[in-house]
Amino acid sequence: MEIVQKLFKTENKRWLLVSLIVSTILLAPLVLLFVNIFNIDVSAFLYLWNNLLLEYSLNTVYLIFITSIVSLFFGVIPAWFISNYAFRFRRFFDIALYLPLAIPTYIMAFTYSDILSFTGPLQSFLRAKAPSVSDVFNLDYLQIEVLGIILGLSLYPYIYTACRLSFSLIGSTYINMSKSLGLSGLKLFYKVVLPLSKPAIFSGLFLVIMEVLNEYGAVKYFGVNTYTTGIFRAWFSMGNESTAIQLACLLLFIVFFFLFVQKTITKKTKFYYSKNSATQKLSPLNKNKRFYAYFSCLVPFVLGFAIPLTYILFNFFYNFNDINFSKLLSLSANSISVSTIASLIIICVAILFLYVEKISKLTINKTLNQITSLGYVVPGAVIGLAIILLFTKTPFLQSFSLVGSFSVLIYAYVFRFLAVGKSPIKSSLEKHPDSFDETAKTLGLGPFNILRKIHFPINKLALIIAFIVTFVDLLKELPITLILRPFNFDTLATQTYQFAIEEMMVDSAVYSLAIIIIGTIMLVLLKSMVNKQINAS
Amino acid sequence: MHLKVENLIKFYNKSEPLISSLNFEVKKGEIVSFLGESGVGKTTFLKCISGLEKINSGSITLNDKVLNSSDVFVSPQKRNIAFVFQDYPLFPHLTLEENIIFNLEKKYVNKLDYMLSLTNLKNLTKRYPHELSGGEQQRACIARALIREPDLLLLDEPFSNLDLAIKHNIIDEIYQIIKATETTTILVTHDINDSLNIADKILVFKAGKLQQYDNPVEMYCKPANCYCAKILGGINKYHKGGEDFYIRAEKIKIEALSEISLTVKKSLFQGKEYIITADYNGETWSLFSSTPLKKEEKIFVSFDEEDLIYFPPHCHNYF
Repeated sequence: MEIVQKLFKTENKRWLLVSLIVSTILLAPLVLLFVNIFNIDVSAFLYLWNNLLLEYSLNTVYLIFITSIVSLFFGVIPAWFISNYAFRFRRFFDIALYLPLAIPTYIMAFTYSDILSFTGPLQSFLRAKAPSVSDVFNLDYLQIEVLGIILGLSLYPYIYTACRLSFSLIGSTYINMSKSLGLSGLKLFYKVVLPLSKPAIFSGLFLVIMEVLNEYGAVKYFGVNTYTTGIFRAWFSMGNESTAIQLACLLLFIVFFFLFVQKTITKKTKFYYSKNSATQKLSPLNKNKRFYAYFSCLVPFVLGFAIPLTYILFNFFYNFNDINFSKLLSLSANSISVSTIASLIIICVAILFLYVEKISKLTINKTLNQITSLGYVVPGAVIGLAIILLFTKTPFLQSFSLVGSFSVLIYAYVFRFLAVGKSPIKSSLEKHPDSFDETAKTLGLGPFNILRKIHFPINKLALIIAFIVTFVDLLKELPITLILRPFNFDTLATQTYQFAIEEMMVDSAVYSLAIIIIGTIMLVLLKSMVNKQINAS
Repeated sequence: MHLKVENLIKFYNKSEPLISSLNFEVKKGEIVSFLGESGVGKTTFLKCISGLEKINSGSITLNDKVLNSSDVFVSPQKRNIAFVFQDYPLFPHLTLEENIIFNLEKKYVNKLDYMLSLTNLKNLTKRYPHELSGGEQQRACIARALIREPDLLLLDEPFSNLDLAIKHNIIDEIYQIIKATETTTILVTHDINDSLNIADKILVFKAGKLQQYDNPVEMYCKPANCYCAKILGGINKYHKGGEDFYIRAEKIKIEALSEISLTVKKSLFQGKEYIITADYNGETWSLFSSTPLKKEEKIFVSFDEEDLIYFPPHCHNYF
């Protein structure tokens, strides 16, 4: 009652009301999913408990473990070298190490499994040139360990990005102070830099874990049974909706558990770097260290980007004459249009939530803002399932037959990727003092005009960055699109997946390449903007 | 009366009011300095006046129009009160000129040239805020505030971010500008010297309450209590006839011989003269000397009886 009274008393009621309505719409599917858990079929649950749950859980945890180790290894070490040392091609590597983000994990997995297969280039080459060792490499590569390494190669940029920013922000003050206290080299790194960067490393690692939990295409292709593949199988292959709901809820609990762990760890160790901490000057490298620097930068770039891209390019030229360019064009248009529309809506919703939180200062807004951001940690398969439940089980919505329409697909994208778009806008808004808003108010501007005349222009760069990161993520999106796309509607991602799953890697190359090229252009643009911001601050 | 504040109460937590029952009035064209320590609620007070914060009780009246009371709240956009913030918030995407004419009614645009020359910013109109010095940014904020002929100008610690070297010039410039435009002004500061330099009246605020509201001379000569006395300079306790009196450091003269003797504890060079810390019957006194004095040296001092300040006994334990 007190909350309602507060809402009626607050100054910006209309803004608040709109944000409440949008939050309710966004959170409805998840609420319904949890409501449905109480209507479970007990026999289905017992079957799940006795036969599948242990396997799904062990596989998921094992996959997370391997992927995390590989991502940490390839993310932290090059970030340290690039943030602190001067060496040739440093700037190139700084951008190049982001690029695996342009290759969706499932494309990476399809490509490597093809490269490593019996008929693939590696084994064919060995059989021709070194028959004696070729047998050593004749293995079944579709193993969970290989998948973990491939996912690590694809996802390490999340950790690299977080570490790169953190290592740059630590600046010279702490480094110089530690040097004066007698620390140097490796000791300085693990006694000062690593502890100070712990929150950044954990938030990067958290994103990696969430991506693994969300992964569908690659795990399905490698035949590894995880919660996500379980949801798809229970629902689409076995028609068992109840088991799918139970798995989705279990997966959500696991996600919330990881979220809780991440929040607890980063809350305790949240550091604020003083603004006057000058940026660390780049030091020269001796011969030994130079070797390690090049090695640590080259390996993730070559394995995570250069090799898959080269192989896809090879397939592309090999199959050039059979490429259906009109189909490529139409699928690219589909991908670009849905990604653009969804990104723009996401930015509008993000601005609405963040701005209402800024002007109202009510706890309810802060809480709603945090809850609606949870979409990013909810796996695509769970969102797909929850949305179908919403539109098929709610009497009022049933009559609209919205499942399989563009609007529902965009709706799912908005919920899933809202946090991605929100993040750069939030940090940019927080940089500007409240006195901007207060001055504008005393100069006679209302909330809408303050947003239009002040916040839009001064946060322009953050809005562009938010658009790019959301767009790139949407371009690669697979599970939600597979579940909710309209009939006869394909995107570059779904087409790549369909060819790959049918072992038609050569045919899928052109679509993979299109995703990678568009993604790479956007990421290079993004990286140059982020660098500009780092230099400006 | 131009501005009237009656029984103003403001709190975020009811048990710890930031402002408890504040009453004062300001005449048209007056500059009032609101003096208090950091964290005492000075900025909150300005925000209440400007409408950026709502008051919990009492009323604020400007030009005979109630701005905020139990049943009236005029939004900050409609108050015609200009607020110059401590951090000089010029919008970074606009040039200096665009900042000054931001959301300005057409009838005031022709005042731009006058305001630019008054604030000595004529040659900087096309510069962006990051290309301006601290003083220039501050004058731009004041120009932006004054060009719309506000009924009241609120200045929040306007000099706290300035170097000492340019501070006095800027205080003088701002004083000239405000007086030239006859703008009623409330200046919030924690620095007594800023208040003395610019204010027609000083309002001393402590523990959520008004301690004294008077002109600087009266405030200096007849402080309402120990706190107000101390805030305008060091005072020394003098026991006479069973009662405690107080004497300002600058009123004490060093003599060859007198009834009052002190023992020197410290002698610090202050540029023009030395500030002496000495012991008088267990009380620590401060006074000024044109020459340095040795530690433990015995000196004699005197002062005029009329310079003694007396406070009622309850004041001794107050603050």
